[in-house]
Amino acid sequence: MSHHKEYLLKVDDLSIVYTGEDDKVKAVDQLSLGLKEGESLGIIGESGSGKSSLALAIMGLIKDGEVQGKITYQEEDILAASAKRLKEIRWQKIALVFQNSLEVLNPVLTIGEQIKEPLRRNAQYSAQELEERVIELLELVGLNPDWRDSYPHNLSGGMRQRVLLAMALSCEPELLIIDEPTTGLDPVTKDEILQLLKKLQQRMDFSMIMISHDIGSIKELTSRVMTMYCGQVVEVGLTDKVLRDPFHPYTRGLLNSSPNLFKYKDLWGIEGEAKPGEGCAFSSRCCQSGANCFGARPPLEYVAVERRVACHKGGIEEFLEARNIKKTYQLKDKEITAVKEVSLKIKSGEVVALVGKSGSGKSTLAHSIAGVLDVDEGEVYYRGEQVTDNWATKMIGGMQIIFQDPSSSTSSRMKLLDVVKEPLEIIKWEDREQRKAKAIDCLKKVQLPTTEAFLNRYCHALSGGQRQRVAIARALVTEPKLLIADEITSMLDPSTQANLLRKLKGLQNQEGFSMLYITHDLHLARKIADKVCVMNEGEIVERGVSFEILENPKHIYTQKLLTKAFKGLI
Amino acid sequence: MELHLKIKSAINAFKKFSLSGKLGLILILLILLMAIFAPWLSPHPHQRSSGSALIPPDSEHILGTDDLGIDLWAQITNGARISLLVGFGTALLAAVGGGIMGIVAAYKGGLIDKILMRLIDIMMVMPDLPVMILLAAFFGPSLFNIILVLAIFSWIRPARIVRSQVLMLKEQSYIKSAESYGAKSWYLIRKHFLPEVSPLLAVSIIRLSSRAIVAEAGLSFLGLGDPTSRSWGLIIHHALNFQGIYYTSFWRWWLLYPWLALTILTVSLAFIGRDLERIVDPRLGN
Repeated sequence: MSHHKEYLLKVDDLSIVYTGEDDKVKAVDQLSLGLKEGESLGIIGESGSGKSSLALAIMGLIKDGEVQGKITYQEEDILAASAKRLKEIRWQKIALVFQNSLEVLNPVLTIGEQIKEPLRRNAQYSAQELEERVIELLELVGLNPDWRDSYPHNLSGGMRQRVLLAMALSCEPELLIIDEPTTGLDPVTKDEILQLLKKLQQRMDFSMIMISHDIGSIKELTSRVMTMYCGQVVEVGLTDKVLRDPFHPYTRGLLNSSPNLFKYKDLWGIEGEAKPGEGCAFSSRCCQSGANCFGARPPLEYVAVERRVACHKGGIEEFLEARNIKKTYQLKDKEITAVKEVSLKIKSGEVVALVGKSGSGKSTLAHSIAGVLDVDEGEVYYRGEQVTDNWATKMIGGMQIIFQDPSSSTSSRMKLLDVVKEPLEIIKWEDREQRKAKAIDCLKKVQLPTTEAFLNRYCHALSGGQRQRVAIARALVTEPKLLIADEITSMLDPSTQANLLRKLKGLQNQEGFSMLYITHDLHLARKIADKVCVMNEGEIVERGVSFEILENPKHIYTQKLLTKAFKGLI
Repeated sequence: MELHLKIKSAINAFKKFSLSGKLGLILILLILLMAIFAPWLSPHPHQRSSGSALIPPDSEHILGTDDLGIDLWAQITNGARISLLVGFGTALLAAVGGGIMGIVAAYKGGLIDKILMRLIDIMMVMPDLPVMILLAAFFGPSLFNIILVLAIFSWIRPARIVRSQVLMLKEQSYIKSAESYGAKSWYLIRKHFLPEVSPLLAVSIIRLSSRAIVAEAGLSFLGLGDPTSRSWGLIIHHALNFQGIYYTSFWRWWLLYPWLALTILTVSLAFIGRDLERIVDPRLGN
């Protein structure tokens, strides 16, 4: 493999506008990308985000649209190339594997004939040579050559995909563009196709652009990935890193909707419809959009090594950063270090599960972060500003903590309504009526009755689960952006627990609400967590994306914890 | 409707008391009524002579008269006002003051707590009666000074009880939550600590008032009371100052009735105090 500094393919400021009868549709909007030789680039995005249009434009196949910008392939301008030259470039230099469907293949020709077609067009072969080449190609893509005399409708979806691949590879192209190679295939066939592509790329050494909804295929086959939204690039980076830690809210939304990344996690689609406008195209659906997001289009800028993001806020916001938190308890004759220099980051719209056995320092860490416990060393930053004097917890839309023990987290002597609206009373928010209305609203969220008689009940007359929910309602009343939840569901029955967690997850996806979820219930953590930190003896021994930690733990303690936790699975 | 509910809850509260407690409550209520309606209850004035000196109880003077011919029933009804005022006044002052000191010491901790605890230690080892006599003599005999002096020696108990209670309370997470919402010390004291310790303070008040009433009687007995406001202690003091009272039969009314009133009051308070303690802290049981 040769390493050229220059790009094999370069797209600059490409725009494609389809002119319909009534309106113009911008399929690709000032898009730029570069692909080096031997590289494989994945393009992800929802349907209609312009992925296929981009592929067609690179092939020079846009017929009824207005194309602006520049596409350079090996220093040759594709958009300016003549039709004859384009035909040469196609198949020989760049080949496209079309999205798999019956219409792509000609129903009245045998597949052998169809594979011969590009061969015949691009080189001089004798009939004998052609036949040999077809057999060779079919063997290459793992299809029995006997099928060459069959018609497309005789073949299964997986077989047709192989035929399309054979056609694309017939002239040994330098760049292969694959559009949705695995759509509609069963898992076994899908895996076979992916393995085949992997093997072929190694053997034939072509560069590749792969367009797919399927994050699993992208993860398997590409080294870099690009997220497209409304014809624009919103994030580019190394596949491994992007999938593990997306920086753009849209990329994260796509990952959260993908079932094959982590099979236990809940699925959450992205709310709303695409509405490209003046400002950031994603702003109407974004969970962290602010006033300045609607003004201008954000440029694609570097935010980390090999990572560019188009976002006015520089990607997903960081809500919480705890640096080197250390807490020691003084006992009579000894010192116990409960938390040893722990650092932690939580981004907007992220659920971080802090797991570990009891006594590992989880609660101490949580209390230190929330500021209810004075730390020996370390600082806490909320949205980039250092937290002093509890400023982050005494505001609307700040940080809140929910304590583990419901009987101690609410006063038995107080009435339920007074407990729930206490934060509002303390920060003197609005007037009495509004405080009450808001408290009732939050009680509904946690599924408690809101009759006058119930509101006037004293907390000591409530059950543990009810009191826990009262405490949760009290935390929600200030509309926190970050919730530190210390074993909040341990007192709840499974149904209430499920409902509450779904509500919190809903908030997370709609409003960018994030949560530090402290638990020893790994089943729950597996269901809701985006990231996992494993704590043992005051240290975070392992941290990372939940699918990696919970599927494939590296640290011996995590392995032990997981085997014990999931041993009793029914 | 509201009033109806309140009466109902009052009756329910009354039912929680034991037989002796109920008796105590009724007696206290009677003494209170006696103090309130003192001028109307006795036909004779309590400061002027209204008959011959040292008449034994008869239909005119139901409890007899003293050496100056002042009606004893009138003196006792009016003396109830003084005794109750001193008792409850001292108790309230000591309980509220001590309570707030206890809360502040426990909640703020550190130096304030240390200073307060040492102060309590000093007050505890100080012999209270001699110092009280000294102080009462120093400040001069007035009702207010008596209350003040008694309160100075009474706040220690409530302060200690409240301090230990608040030390426990401030570790509760609802206090921590309130702090994290930005609650100031005054808010916490007003909304959380005081309501939480008020039952304990109520018990203290009952205990302290009984102690204060006896102490006031003691001070009066020693001649340190306010001579213008004749409390029960002062009546006893006067009676005992009558030379050779035990050789006569005068003590049968002059000494007996104020003593009886004092005893009934303190015993009733003790009964109530014991029951209240049980009701406030169910763990004590019965």
